Amino acid sequence: MNILKLEVSRRRFLQATGTVGAVGAVGLAGTKLAGFSTLSEAQAAAPGASAETVITKNVCAQCPARCGIDVYTTNGKVHAIYGSYDHPISNGKLCPKGHLGTYLLYDPDRFKGPMKRTNPKKGRNEDPKFVPISWDEAFKTVADRLNVLRDKGESHRFAFLFGRGWGPTDVGLYGPFGAMYGTPNAPIGHSSMCADASKLAREAQEGFYDYHSYDYKNTNYLLNFGASYLEAFRPYNYLMQMWGHMRTKSPQTRVTTVEVRLSTTAAASDRALFVKPGTDAALALAIAHVMLTEGLWNKNFVGDFADGANHFKVGMTVAAAAAEAAKAAKAAAAAAPAVAATAAAAAPVKGKGAKTVVLPTPPGAFNEKWTLGLVEWWDTVVKSATPKWAADITGVAAKDIVTVAREFGTTRPAMVIQERGPGSHSNGTYNCMAVNALNALVGANFAEGGVMHHSGAPYGKLPVDYNEFKDDYAKSDDRKKPRIDLVKGPDLPLAKNGMQDIAKNHLAGKPYKLDTMLFNMTNPIFTAPDCKVWEEALKDIFIIGTSPYPDETNMYADLVLPEHTYLERLQVCADQPIHGYPQAHLRTPAIKPLYDTRDFADIIIEIGKRMKGPMAEYYKALGNHENLVRALAKGFEAKPGSNGVNSFESWKQKGVWFKTPYAFRQIRGEFFEWDGKAYAKPMTEADVKYKLFKTISGKFEFNSNLLRGNVMGKKKAPDGSYMKTADGKDVMELQKKDTDAFINKKLGVTLEQTGFPQYIPAKYTGGGDLHFITPKTAMNAEGRSANIPHAIALQQPSVGGRTTVYLEINPQTAKAKGIRNNDKVRIKSALGTIEAYARLTEGARPDTLVLPFAHGHWAQGRWAKGRGPGHSGEITANQSDPLSGLASYYTGMVSIEKA
Amino acid sequence: MAKWGMVIDLEKCTGCQACTTACQMENNRLPGESWQDVLFYTEGKYPNAQMKWIPRPCMQCENPSCVTVCPTKATYKTEDGVVLVDWNKCIGCKYCMIACPYGVRFYTDEKPLIEPNVKDVFKGDGDLTWNPPYKGPQQDNTKGIGIQPSGVVSKCNFCYHKISKAPKGTVNLSNDDPALREFVPACVRTCAPTARYFGDLDNPNSEVNRIIAAKKGTRLLEHTGNKPQVYYVTGAGAAGGTVIPGGRSSKDKA
Repeated sequence: MNILKLEVSRRRFLQATGTVGAVGAVGLAGTKLAGFSTLSEAQAAAPGASAETVITKNVCAQCPARCGIDVYTTNGKVHAIYGSYDHPISNGKLCPKGHLGTYLLYDPDRFKGPMKRTNPKKGRNEDPKFVPISWDEAFKTVADRLNVLRDKGESHRFAFLFGRGWGPTDVGLYGPFGAMYGTPNAPIGHSSMCADASKLAREAQEGFYDYHSYDYKNTNYLLNFGASYLEAFRPYNYLMQMWGHMRTKSPQTRVTTVEVRLSTTAAASDRALFVKPGTDAALALAIAHVMLTEGLWNKNFVGDFADGANHFKVGMTVAAAAAEAAKAAKAAAAAAPAVAATAAAAAPVKGKGAKTVVLPTPPGAFNEKWTLGLVEWWDTVVKSATPKWAADITGVAAKDIVTVAREFGTTRPAMVIQERGPGSHSNGTYNCMAVNALNALVGANFAEGGVMHHSGAPYGKLPVDYNEFKDDYAKSDDRKKPRIDLVKGPDLPLAKNGMQDIAKNHLAGKPYKLDTMLFNMTNPIFTAPDCKVWEEALKDIFIIGTSPYPDETNMYADLVLPEHTYLERLQVCADQPIHGYPQAHLRTPAIKPLYDTRDFADIIIEIGKRMKGPMAEYYKALGNHENLVRALAKGFEAKPGSNGVNSFESWKQKGVWFKTPYAFRQIRGEFFEWDGKAYAKPMTEADVKYKLFKTISGKFEFNSNLLRGNVMGKKKAPDGSYMKTADGKDVMELQKKDTDAFINKKLGVTLEQTGFPQYIPAKYTGGGDLHFITPKTAMNAEGRSANIPHAIALQQPSVGGRTTVYLEINPQTAKAKGIRNNDKVRIKSALGTIEAYARLTEGARPDTLVLPFAHGHWAQGRWAKGRGPGHSGEITANQSDPLSGLASYYTGMVSIEKA
Repeated sequence: MAKWGMVIDLEKCTGCQACTTACQMENNRLPGESWQDVLFYTEGKYPNAQMKWIPRPCMQCENPSCVTVCPTKATYKTEDGVVLVDWNKCIGCKYCMIACPYGVRFYTDEKPLIEPNVKDVFKGDGDLTWNPPYKGPQQDNTKGIGIQPSGVVSKCNFCYHKISKAPKGTVNLSNDDPALREFVPACVRTCAPTARYFGDLDNPNSEVNRIIAAKKGTRLLEHTGNKPQVYYVTGAGAAGGTVIPGGRSSKDKA
C-alpha cells in the first residue's frame, strides 16, 4: 500500500520536474560548453536567458590560501563551486572545504540584517534578544558612540580586531581609520594567535618578516617540521597538487616529517619522526651538527674553510680543532719528512714553474659567502648538539637523526618547511630559527627547489590620502598611547600583535579599559587560549560584530552589522606567499545579496562618513567599496598580468592578476635576476642586500643582528635633529638596542648568545602529566565549516569521526589510566576541565594527548552549537613566546581520567 | 560506445576527502551519505604505526551483483558501462545493499547522522526527500540523478548527468582538455593531487588503460567475480607504502 502510494506521487513528481531536467540538459549540451559563460559575457546576454548557468570568479574564504573558484549559478541559485582553471593556486582543483562553500551562503542561521541587542546582560546562556534595526540607525549608533569617545579625549579606547584579512579593501581600511580617529588599536590582527614565531625567525635571519614562498615543484627533499602539509598548511589545495607531483616525479621527492602525532602528513611521508612537543630546536641543531661534522653543508652558498679541510669536530671549537689538526700535520710531517719533501718539490711543477705566494691564513679560517656567523654558531651552540644529546631531549633515536641529516645534506635541491608546530611554545622563535637555519646550510634560499620571499602586486593608488584628513587631535602627542595588547612596549618589543592578551589587559585596566570594539573575521572569545577570560572581559565593552553568522562574538554583540558572505562580495584578496611572484585576487558576487547585509568596506566607509571632523570628508571622497576596487585595478593598466589582466573588467573576468616568473634566483652561490628570458642578470652583494636579505649584513645571519640589538637607525645631529643626506634622505647608522638584555631577562639566554639559533627548554603550562596538542583538521582548518552538517559528518581521519572529533590517546597510556576506546573522559589542566570521547590509537605518543582545535562551539549555528567535545581553548593557558608574542597553543600539560 | 572506467592512484591520494565533498554537493547528498567515501585505518604499534586510506566510489561492476538481485529491475547497467538505479522502479527492498560486496549503496530513509536533520531544515516539496537551497538543476529519477524520493536506494552514478553528455568518441575524460571539463565526474575533476583518471576501458590507448598497465592496476575483491570498472594502482610513494586491500601490490615487499 505504502509502496503504491509512493509510486504515484513519484510519477507526479517526475512530471513536475521534467522541464527542469530538460532545461538543465540543454544548458549542458554540446562540446562547446553551451550555456556556460563568464560573467561579463553573461551580463551582455539577453535578460530572457534565465535558465543559463553563469560562472562567476571568486576566491574561497575558508582558509587564507586564495584559491580561485568558479561559482556556478543557475536561475539565481548558486549550486556548485569548482576550482578555477588557469589560476596559479587552484589550477581547477579544490580542497574538501571549498566545495561546501555554498552552504556558507545558504546557512539558515545567518543574520538577515543589522541587529541591536536589547538584553543588557551578557553570557553564554543569555539570549541577546536581538531586534532588527535599519543600517542608517546602526551606522549612526556606532558613529555617535565613537564621536562621544573622541570628544572626551578617549579615542584610544576603541579597538578594531581582525582575523582573516583579505587585502586593501578590508585590512587596508583599518589603519587609516585609526590614524584619523586617533587610536593605536586599529587594527590589532590575529597573527599572534597564528604563526608569528616563524615570521620573526625569518626577520632575525633573513630580514624578512613574513612566510616563505616554496618551490615545491623542483625540490627533491622536503624536511617538514610540524607543518600540517596535508591538513591545514596553506595553500592546502595547491600543496596537494604538489604532493601528487612530488610523489610520482623522477626522482621522487623524499619527505621526512617531524611531528608530535601520526597526522595524515606524517602517515604519507617517507619517514615520521615523533618529537616531544617543544623540542624541535634540539632536533634541528643535531641535524646541523651532523651536516657540519660530515662536511654536508652547501659550500657554494655558505662558503668553506680556507684550507679546504673540515674543522667542525665534535665538541671542539673550530680554533681548537684547527690547532689540533695543525699539530697533527706537523707531527705527521716530522714522522714522514720524505713524503712531505716530495710533495713540496712537486708543487712548483704543477704550477708550471710559476712562483706561488701562499698568504698565511689563520688556522680554521672560514670564508663565509652568503651567511654570517657560522663558525661562531658552531663554537657556541652546535658543537655539543650531538645526535645523542638531541635524542635524550626529543625522544627521536640518534640513528634516525644521523640518517635524516645525511639524506638532507646530500640531496639537492632540499628545503625545510615549518610553521606553528615548533613555533607555538615559549621557545617558539628560537625553535623556528634553528629549523630555518637548515635552509641556509643546504643553500635553499632563492634556489630552484628552495625558499623565496614573495613580491607584492602593483595596485593603483586610492584617490585620496588619509594623511591629509588628520585633524590636530589625531596628530597631537596626547594620541601616542600604548596599544591595548602592549606590543611594541617594554614587555613585547619585537611582537607585532598580541590579541590573546587583550581581554586580560582590559580586565586589569592595564594600560586602560576599552570602551568599544569592532570585530571582523575573528572570534577570540572562542578561539583564544584561556578563552573564558574573554567571556568576562567583553561584558562591559560595547561590541560591534560584523560576522553574518551567530558566532560567539555576536552572542556578546551590542550591534551586529552583518557583512556579505564571500559569494556575495566584490572584494580584493591580496596574495599570500606561495609562488614568490606577485598575485592579486578578486571576488565577484555570484548573486545579489540574499539578505540585508553590506560589503565590509562599505560598513567602514559609512561609519566614517558619519564621523565628526575632516575624516568624514575622506570617506565621502572614497564613496563606496567599488570605487576602491576600481582604483586598485588602475595599477594593472601599466603592468598587465601574465594572463592579460589590465583593467577592472578583465580582472573580474579572470579573477586574478599575476606576473610570472619569480624575479630572483640563486644558482650555486651566485644571485641572478630575471632579464625577461632567463635568470641571467648577475646581482651584486648590494643588490642582494637591498632586494633579498634585508639584514644588516645583507646575508643569512646565523648570528642575528636583530636579536643582538643591532639595528639601523636614523642618525641624529648633536642638536637632536635627524641628519639628512644631500638629496634629503635620512642618514642611517648602526645603533644598539637592548634586545639582548631583554632576551636575557625573559629567556635566560646569555648576552653573547642571543643571536644564535638554539635550544631552550619550553615552559610547559597547565600542570598535568601529559602533553596536550590541539591540531587543525583538514575539514575545519580555520573553523568556518563548524556549522556545515556535511563537514561535521566527515571529521575523520585519525582524531576525527563521522559526527564528532575524538581525543587521541596511545593505548598504553589509556590502559594505565583505565580508559577504553570510546570512553567519555575528563581532561584537566590548571585552568579547568573539559570532556571528550577517547579514541585509542597507536599513532599517538604515549606522553601526548591530541584533541582538534576549534571544536566545541557554544554558538555559531544550530549544527555547531552544543556539539561536543569540550573546547581545547578552555584548558590551554595564555602563555606567549616573549619574542614573537605568539600564543603557546601547543605547550599545555593536562591529566586525564575516565568520566 | 565507451565503457567508462576509473583509476585511483593511491600513491598520489592524500586522503583529503575533496572527492567526497565535491560529490556531495554535485549530487545533493545528505550529510554522511557519501557516495564517494574515504576509509581510514591504522596498523602497527607506536612509533611504527601507519595510517592508510582508500577512497571508495561505486565500482560500476562489469558483472554487478546488485543488478542480478534486484527484483524490479530498478538497478541496471547502461550501454556505456555504468550501473544506475531507476528511482521510479526501486521499492527499497535493500537486496542490492546486501548483495554489493563494496558497501557503496545507501537507503534514503535512514536515521539522520547529524542532528538537526537537514531534511527538516530544508524540507522537500512533492516527492523530493529534501530540498537544499543549493540544489543543482539536474534531476532524472530514471537514472538516479538528483535528489531521490523516499523509500529508494541511491549510489554513485559516475556523475552520469555529466559523462553522458561528453562528445561521442571521447577516450580520456580529463581536465586537460578544456572542452571536456564540464563532463568530468566531480571527484575526478577536483582531485588536487590528480589521483583519479577517467576514460574508456574499451580503448586500449586510453589513459586509464595505460596507467593500469604501467602501474599494475588491480581491483578490489577480485574473487567475487564482480569485475569492477574502478581500478586501483599504487607505488613506493604511497602512505605507509599502501598495499591495495585484497589485491596485488605494485610495491615489491620481498
